[in-house]
Amino acid sequence: MVILFRLLVFPGFLFLFFSAMLFDWVDRRVIARFQERVGPPWYQPFADFVKLLAKEDVLSTGAHATAASLLPVAALVAVLTAALYVPVGGIAVASFEGDLILVLFLLSVPAISYFLVGWISVGVYSVIGGNRSLLQYFSYEVPFLMALAAPAALSGTWSIARIVAYQGQTSWGLLMQPLGFILAMIGLVGKLKRDPLDIPKAKSEVIAGPLTEFSGRKLALWHLAMEMQTVVGIFLLVNLFVGDSRFFGWLPQLPVFGLKALALLVLLSMAAVLYARLRIDQLADLGWKILAPLALLQFVATLWIIGL
Amino acid sequence: MSKTIVPIGPQHPLLKEPVAFQITVEGEQVIDSAMRMGYVHRGIERLCEERTYVQDIHLLERVCGICSHVHATTYCRAVEALIGVEVPLRGVYLRALLCELERIHSHLLWLGVLARNIGFDTIFMYAWRDREIVLDIMEDLSGGRVSHAANVIGGVRVDLTEARREEILGELTFLDGQVARLLNVVEQEQSLRARTRDIGLLTLEQVRQYCVVGPVARASGLDVDFRRDSLQVPYDRLTFEVPVHDAGDVWARTLVRSQETVESLRLCRQILEDLPEGPTSARVPRRVKAGQAIARAEAPRGEVFYYVRSDGSDSPARVKVRTPTLTSLITLPVQLQEITMADVSVVLSGVDLCIACADR
Repeated sequence: MVILFRLLVFPGFLFLFFSAMLFDWVDRRVIARFQERVGPPWYQPFADFVKLLAKEDVLSTGAHATAASLLPVAALVAVLTAALYVPVGGIAVASFEGDLILVLFLLSVPAISYFLVGWISVGVYSVIGGNRSLLQYFSYEVPFLMALAAPAALSGTWSIARIVAYQGQTSWGLLMQPLGFILAMIGLVGKLKRDPLDIPKAKSEVIAGPLTEFSGRKLALWHLAMEMQTVVGIFLLVNLFVGDSRFFGWLPQLPVFGLKALALLVLLSMAAVLYARLRIDQLADLGWKILAPLALLQFVATLWIIGL
Repeated sequence: MSKTIVPIGPQHPLLKEPVAFQITVEGEQVIDSAMRMGYVHRGIERLCEERTYVQDIHLLERVCGICSHVHATTYCRAVEALIGVEVPLRGVYLRALLCELERIHSHLLWLGVLARNIGFDTIFMYAWRDREIVLDIMEDLSGGRVSHAANVIGGVRVDLTEARREEILGELTFLDGQVARLLNVVEQEQSLRARTRDIGLLTLEQVRQYCVVGPVARASGLDVDFRRDSLQVPYDRLTFEVPVHDAGDVWARTLVRSQETVESLRLCRQILEDLPEGPTSARVPRRVKAGQAIARAEAPRGEVFYYVRSDGSDSPARVKVRTPTLTSLITLPVQLQEITMADVSVVLSGVDLCIACADR
């Protein structure tokens, strides 16, 4: 009964769904306020979701129908499964030694699905967007993985819960590995395809990228998967870099966790407000010439510190 | 890699007006481009021949939705030259004031469109917010935010009271501050520069060869500005700089237009401060003598040219318009060479296309 509750309600599906809606709204609202707009009301993400579910589901002739239906589900399932292993305020549905690796693997599945959905489409914008998303994946993923492996190496465990516990004994990962945190945040922006790294779906270049020709339920599922991925990605970074809740020991853990997650979300929103979109070759340069060497440096420094 | 043709337009999020490009790409690399226009051809030049001189003012004001006033003004100046009537100085100043306000509004609008197309929505929102101030001033002046209907043959039909003049000066001071802040961001922001530098290159020779005018020419080092070169009233009495840059890329065009916005603000202030007393329009004889005349003016996108021929009847026998966008359009095949797919949006935004102007 407890496990069913955790799976479906908290911190499982329902909690994740409402978090996704809340994060989406906060994100849009914060960006709007930075840009001197008003922004949408709180129920806008729900309204968008319901509206898309009710709309006609059109598929362009020549696109692979089965794959088109399966890919958004695959992305959503991968994100939901990853969420099971990411603790929320210390509570996770499941946990084992090495769950960080599983979560990182599962969080790559949406990127692959996103590329494939461009590949099976017949539209030229979808194909270009799909290719771009794969190139982007290769640019951000290596520094992102190395930045996330560093806390694991430092605490000597691949379990997210134990990394959090290790931070409880020492200090925030953010303070011990500030460079790693910045790299992980940049990697997350790339992973979530948010501004300014929304290259695969750049409106003025490829309309909406791989999702150009999708509508109705499939598009709704894609949006939900992407929004949930935002939540899971942010939760993961909160655990790895600001996991320790000692500083706020007198407060219940869960609201503190929520506030930390929202703080990271606002950082992401600010990045979206502050920069112009990069070109794909500029991103590849950034990823391989700056971020990857920095991540390597950070990782070697971590290993050196462990060796001391 | 196989070649793919990417259609951009007639409907595309990148374009604000209908025009079609077919971009041939190999992966991300653009290897060829073709253009098709004429989607907003309304036959305005022909329609002018069927209407009277007075009706044509309103028709020609609708050539363009951004630089509407300069079209009407240039047409009126051509007809005034045909009739041989002198516009009172106050009328000339008020026309110039609207022209300069229109330039600020056009350049801010363009900055917003460029920023939007490279995914920099914040600058887009800020530029268009500040542009509202200009639109409000123009609405107060003439009653219209886009089409002002301010011109009559022989002058303008709008006038300013002393109190209103002071108010507009105050609003301009506020706008000065806003624009300075915005342009500071534009000049300092590295990601904007990274996207626009060395994109859409046009050399000075190419600019001469294609007869390019306006900010695009000035960004390639060609020092032309009809306002200064013609010694036209009232610009011969006002002091202003003509910003010129040499790089010839979209970044240089951004700088030229940004600095022009500041210069236009300076001009507006001078015009309002030196505004001469007197009537705003002259009495004009009812008949237009047979003959022909031309008029030119510096529109926000460059020099606009009008030719009017009269056969002595109520309607002109011929009205020919040459808009500055046309000269920029024919350079696009050159600019679209050796760039990537992502830069197409930058190039197309950089020349500040006004398709409605070019198609008429």
